[in-house]
Amino acid sequence: MKTNFDLVIIGAGPAGMSAAIHASKFDMKTLVLDDQFAVGGQVYRHILQNNNNRTDLPFLDEDYWSGHNLAHEFSCSSAQLRPESRVWQITKNKEVFFTQKGKAHCVQAKAILIATGAMERPMPVKGWTLPGVMSVGAAQILLKTAQSGTDGAVFAGSGPLFYLAIQQYLRAGFEIKAVIDTSPKKIPLMGYILTIPALLQPNLLFKGARWRAEIRKKPFYFSEVKSVRINGKDFAESLCFTDVEGRKQTISTSHIFIHQGVIPNINLTMATELEHRWCGRQLCWKPKVDMFGESSIDGIFIAGDSLGVFGAEAAVFSGKIAIQRIAANAKRSAAIKTLVLCLYRWRQLAIRPFLDYLFKPPEDWLLPDDDTTVICRCESLSKADISNAIELGVSGPNQLKSFCRAGMGRCQGRLCGLTIQKMIANHHGQSEDKVGYFRLRPPIRPLTVLELATLSNDDPV
Amino acid sequence: MMIPSNRNKVIVIGGGIHGCATAYFLAKRGQTVTVVEKDHIARHASGVNAGGVRTLGRDLAEIPLSLASMDLWKKLHSEIGVYAQAFHPSFYLKVAIDEEGYALGSARAEALKHAGYNHEFWLDASDVQDRLPKLTTPTYGGFLVEGDGWARPWLIVRGFAQGARQYGAEIIEKCNVFGLELRQNCWYLKTDKGVFEADYVVNCAGAWAADLAFQSGEPKAPLSAYAPMLAVTESKPPILPAVIGVLGHTLSLKQLDTGQFVIGGGVRASANLSENSGEVVLPELRESMQLAARLFSDISNAQIIRCWSGIEGYMPDNLPIIGHGKQPGLIHGFGFSAHGFQLGPAVGEVLADLVMGQQPRVPLDAFRPDRF
Ligand SMILES: Cc1cc2nc3c(=O)[nH]c(=O)nc-3n(C[C@H](O)[C@H](O)[C@H](O)COP(=O)(O)OP(=O)(O)OC[C@H]3O[C@@H](n4cnc5c(N)ncnc54)[C@H](O)[C@@H]3O)c2cc1C
Repeated sequence: MKTNFDLVIIGAGPAGMSAAIHASKFDMKTLVLDDQFAVGGQVYRHILQNNNNRTDLPFLDEDYWSGHNLAHEFSCSSAQLRPESRVWQITKNKEVFFTQKGKAHCVQAKAILIATGAMERPMPVKGWTLPGVMSVGAAQILLKTAQSGTDGAVFAGSGPLFYLAIQQYLRAGFEIKAVIDTSPKKIPLMGYILTIPALLQPNLLFKGARWRAEIRKKPFYFSEVKSVRINGKDFAESLCFTDVEGRKQTISTSHIFIHQGVIPNINLTMATELEHRWCGRQLCWKPKVDMFGESSIDGIFIAGDSLGVFGAEAAVFSGKIAIQRIAANAKRSAAIKTLVLCLYRWRQLAIRPFLDYLFKPPEDWLLPDDDTTVICRCESLSKADISNAIELGVSGPNQLKSFCRAGMGRCQGRLCGLTIQKMIANHHGQSEDKVGYFRLRPPIRPLTVLELATLSNDDPV
Repeated sequence: MMIPSNRNKVIVIGGGIHGCATAYFLAKRGQTVTVVEKDHIARHASGVNAGGVRTLGRDLAEIPLSLASMDLWKKLHSEIGVYAQAFHPSFYLKVAIDEEGYALGSARAEALKHAGYNHEFWLDASDVQDRLPKLTTPTYGGFLVEGDGWARPWLIVRGFAQGARQYGAEIIEKCNVFGLELRQNCWYLKTDKGVFEADYVVNCAGAWAADLAFQSGEPKAPLSAYAPMLAVTESKPPILPAVIGVLGHTLSLKQLDTGQFVIGGGVRASANLSENSGEVVLPELRESMQLAARLFSDISNAQIIRCWSGIEGYMPDNLPIIGHGKQPGLIHGFGFSAHGFQLGPAVGEVLADLVMGQQPRVPLDAFRPDRF
């Protein structure tokens, strides 16, 4: 017999942890799976470990440490955590398959909460595949988990996480060579209008403005840059761009951190064949859910940034709301409480239109204008390779796979899917919505032949 | 947009391998042909199958067709040019790893001998080991066919489609046929792109073919749709020179020129015809994985990076339907039950024979549409 759970939560970031804490108040038998070795997700990465030497980590601020309460409460809850577990398939019957330490397992859930968070948007600028180039998110994780960083790096891109990571880098004492910001120098009128709802989250708004202002004062800061390219033969050697006055500039460096915002990580929700919709504002696919986060399959819920990027505080509420609903379905809770939570969460979304507007990725970061830029890293296909295939009469990303193998590698389109979708849409003059995304299939994480071969249905979990 | 000039001699429904090969041979013989495909060429079974090109292990009734097809595969270059490079002939070995498998093998050897076929050759255990130095489990021997192999299915279908175009055939994609009717010796096809008229209709609509035939007034063929599944691993150093099967078990295993292993073998999930989708339930491939890992321990640590399925139509006796329908001018070719890819080239030829009123080059009795 498979082990049964009332609830299986995938992802132990803010949404997953808050859901688990809440679920244990309703006495739900809960299993939490996460592929990291400890809880925290992306924002609160390494929180329990870091908490023991807070004083050595001056670059982490109150927002980060606020995750400790959550993590602590989670450890005290009755939810069972299985770290280092990679979920590779969920079935419509709510079986959850995962591997942990070389062994595959299966559990049966009554309800599932997917809280797998967000990932960084693909950023196919020229040279992005050279060794020495890393995403800002990856650089930030190194900082949080190993206090490791490097002097003389260049940050290029934009977005809230971009500023946060730069702040942390500076506070950790690393010297930054340059910040190459693609977002507009002055906030346009529309941006000001959108700050009105954002005033519901004054703390975020003002903190963000402060960071931005601080960074902008630095001598190494360049605003509203265009045409970013990374040069180098075997590794990154320099970065060039056009500055706000239209001058070409080159900065030599061997460490470049790039970022253009985050998008929901949809590989699991898509491979589970949940319905999705295209969000023109955040330029990404989002699973379709009702106000409680329930997806197109009954009993499969989604919370946190896998719903759309709204940040840690909204994630905490969305986790609770989902649990409240699951409990209501199982006749364990009061509806009024759910509605109150929905209102709280809604307030946490207020700043998003402003941020989405201000940090909309520039066109040439979504689609490079240089033909030799690699788009599909797994199969080493350049923009020209993909354009040529599209011209042979390809109508969608799935058909493209047969023409040139784009998206067929191990990243399963995470690093090229949106770029390819856009190329096809541009070619046919169609909306991205209509072109659609890759058809994703399990396993959403690789597992070995032996792991699948030794999967047993009845091991106790 | 102008609706295409609507009088065609032959319309082939379905742009899979059978539809495209039929169109190719008809066009090559000077017929006016149009292929109508509801999605795009090779979107379904024909483009995503395991690419196994095997004469080995065929039902006795299917052997003449399969051997005729193999002759075409061997000289495919003269038909579809560079696309033929997508075929990689090597050898196919179907081994026995248990008593039951050995018994199946002996019975088959007897039956083949009785029917006068000698293309499958029994190797004893030590010969099998010589052929497969990386084998890590003892065998009781196995059948060998020299010259069987694997192909990249999508390229082969595309080759036939391009070839057909070069001989003047028209291929219309994204054009679903939703009505099929015979009036005064003329077939009328209602499609997304208008009404088409034809003297002959060839029904190569794969898993959808039986419903289409039924609504045109043909008896209901007992076709069921499933989605057989396949998995592919990351690249590994070459260890496997052949395509491998196991007598009495569900495994088909090969290593591509990229070093990736393709593992499957008939395990099928459910298919949804109206939504064009097949399920993928990876755990169901467990037994195939167990066999693959046992036969070649080198495969154990390869990571499975992708899994997919394709929609296929199955007949109760696992033999296709190839022949004239009840109504004049309607010819069927479907129900290939997960082993139709290798048959494609020969099926194209015999369906062209049937359209042109010629004696088909191999006996088709076992495939009669009215056999049920
Ligand atoms: C996963 C898998 C592995 C396989 N492995 C092998 C193998 O190793 N070796 C082997 O020999 N065989 C194999 N097969 C079987 C082989 O792929 C099929 O038998 C063969 O491709 C069938 O070809 P087809 O042209 O009849 O059908 P299809 O390829 O399904 O083509 C039928 C076409 O008709 C179109 N169509 C349907 N209805 C309509 C309509 N109303 N209007 C317009 N168009 C329509 C469909 O869209 C479809 O494109 C495998 C099959 C699968 C799914």
